[in-house]
Amino acid sequence: MILFETFGLFIVATLLGVPLVYGLLLSTAGMIWWHDLGHPLTSVFLSYIGGVESFVLIAVPLFMLAGEILSRGGVGMRIVTFATKLLGFLPGGLGISTVTSCLIFGGVSGSAIADTAAIGSVMTPAMIRKGYSPAFAGALMSTAGTLAIVMPPSIPMLVYAFVSGASVRDLFLAGVVPAVVFAIGLSLDCVRVGKMSGCDNGETRSSGREVWTAFLAAAPALLMPVIILGGIWSGYFTPTEAAAVAAAYGLFVSMVVYKDLKFRDLPSLLLKSFTTSAVVMVVIGATSCLAWLITVEQVPVQIADMVTHYATSQWTFLLLVNGALLMLGCFIEPVPALILAAPLLVPLAVAFKIDPVHLGLIMTCNLAIGLYTPPVGGTLMVGARLAGVGMGKVVAALIPQMMISVSILLVVTYIPSISMALVHLVRGH
Amino acid sequence: MDRTPSNAAGRAGSATAGPAEPLLPPGRQTPPALTWLARTVDWSVVLIGAGMASLVFANVIVHNFFHGDIAWTTEFCELLMVWVTFLGGAAATRRGSHMVVNELVNRVKGDKRRWADAAIQLVVFVTLGLLLWYGIGIADAGRLSTLTVLGWPMLTQYVALPVASAITMVFVGWDLIEILQGKSHEQRYGEVQP
Repeated sequence: MILFETFGLFIVATLLGVPLVYGLLLSTAGMIWWHDLGHPLTSVFLSYIGGVESFVLIAVPLFMLAGEILSRGGVGMRIVTFATKLLGFLPGGLGISTVTSCLIFGGVSGSAIADTAAIGSVMTPAMIRKGYSPAFAGALMSTAGTLAIVMPPSIPMLVYAFVSGASVRDLFLAGVVPAVVFAIGLSLDCVRVGKMSGCDNGETRSSGREVWTAFLAAAPALLMPVIILGGIWSGYFTPTEAAAVAAAYGLFVSMVVYKDLKFRDLPSLLLKSFTTSAVVMVVIGATSCLAWLITVEQVPVQIADMVTHYATSQWTFLLLVNGALLMLGCFIEPVPALILAAPLLVPLAVAFKIDPVHLGLIMTCNLAIGLYTPPVGGTLMVGARLAGVGMGKVVAALIPQMMISVSILLVVTYIPSISMALVHLVRGH
Repeated sequence: MDRTPSNAAGRAGSATAGPAEPLLPPGRQTPPALTWLARTVDWSVVLIGAGMASLVFANVIVHNFFHGDIAWTTEFCELLMVWVTFLGGAAATRRGSHMVVNELVNRVKGDKRRWADAAIQLVVFVTLGLLLWYGIGIADAGRLSTLTVLGWPMLTQYVALPVASAITMVFVGWDLIEILQGKSHEQRYGEVQP
């Protein structure tokens, strides 16, 4: 089947070190030439441009800009201080504070890599000083950083909404409870490690005044998700506009309130943000080329036949989806994986009477796990680098967290009300 | 997988740039003409990106506080998005910060690594050649149709692809020359880069 051949060629090219974007473009064009499919390459490359020009996708660079502004402005440090004052007294308190900080920062950045880098640069050395093993610190950052893409605003959810036509507002709503459940699951592992190793039995509880002071310092940053998500959910702005508001508010907080950022820092910050987003966007564009090819070759129909052969019920279909996405996530980043898989899975999910919003959440959770599974894991790389240990050791240390995450994924998959209750509440309203 | 954000791990809470530092990071050492081209690309990305963000934000203000709508902003922002993406992709190529799975290639050292890098860059160069060739055709066809609201030829949007591809080919071509001159990956991109 052409999909598997193209995907195989792509995997070989990328494993040999060809950048993802060129691997995708070349494998798509290569398949057309190899099989003499007769599709003009002009159409393929036109869909490359079409894949990046959507107004909805402008939210991607703008959320990345907002995340970069907040990371450089020291907002991460203030969130960490607040979380540590609030939860540091618990057994495994520093680990729990790390998870909580990632959850909160995820509510402003929408990017797992940014979350891991921003919180991890502060918390990883602190955890190692406290006595946690570097491998565990790296593992926790790798897993907790991915809360950013389950917690709204989430860049992969935006992309899924663009591909599937699902409501961004509903997707963002659906992410809130699962993100908190994942955070609780990871926190329980921190309690286990903190107690078992004896390195973190909890600090003295901070006074109410200390917590309040830390809260006030972090308040302008904590207000950001309220403004962004409140604006989207109340209909004041679209997700793209919300991203622009997030960037403007981030600038205001970092330059005027915290005074961490100067005007002359802006050019390099803008360059960094838009170059980073371009790296993601060109992959989105290149994946659109492949998506175009598999659509005109009627691959979705063949996949549907194959899936319905094996999956006879909603239950088995979802199991197949989880298995396939966990595998896909091992090799490919969430955004291109969503662009590839969503057009294939959404029609099938609808046929199995699964809400596309629920499917979007399941896909995001699966691909979040893929971010810390070898051989290709974005947050795994950052976590290992921050902790200064090899990826193998980090992977070994994160096995309990992965088991927790997969268990929660299955719960989220098979108990839709966990994610959909808020959505139904708002839809009903 | 490696890319710019991961390379910047540790940036949170970092000190701001001092007055003596340049406004944009200079990047790798190249001949003057190439440095000029790279700076032009970098500043274009900064200005186009800032313009796009400002326009979207301005529309929020007009829309919510003055109950109006700047109709052309959507189309113009889409045009800017195409330019900032492809030029940003060129800037990323120069810094070696595209998404790459480099676990295998990093195991290869010395001359073998240089030849592996040369082979990879050759594949990228050929792909960019295809993008340039077909991009010119797409841009040329775009002369005949116009953007709905702005009324400008579609060429203004589509030409971003061949222009950025040609610029990227220059960067990749220079990298190939440096590889053939015997420069290692670390010498070309620095140690933290992929």
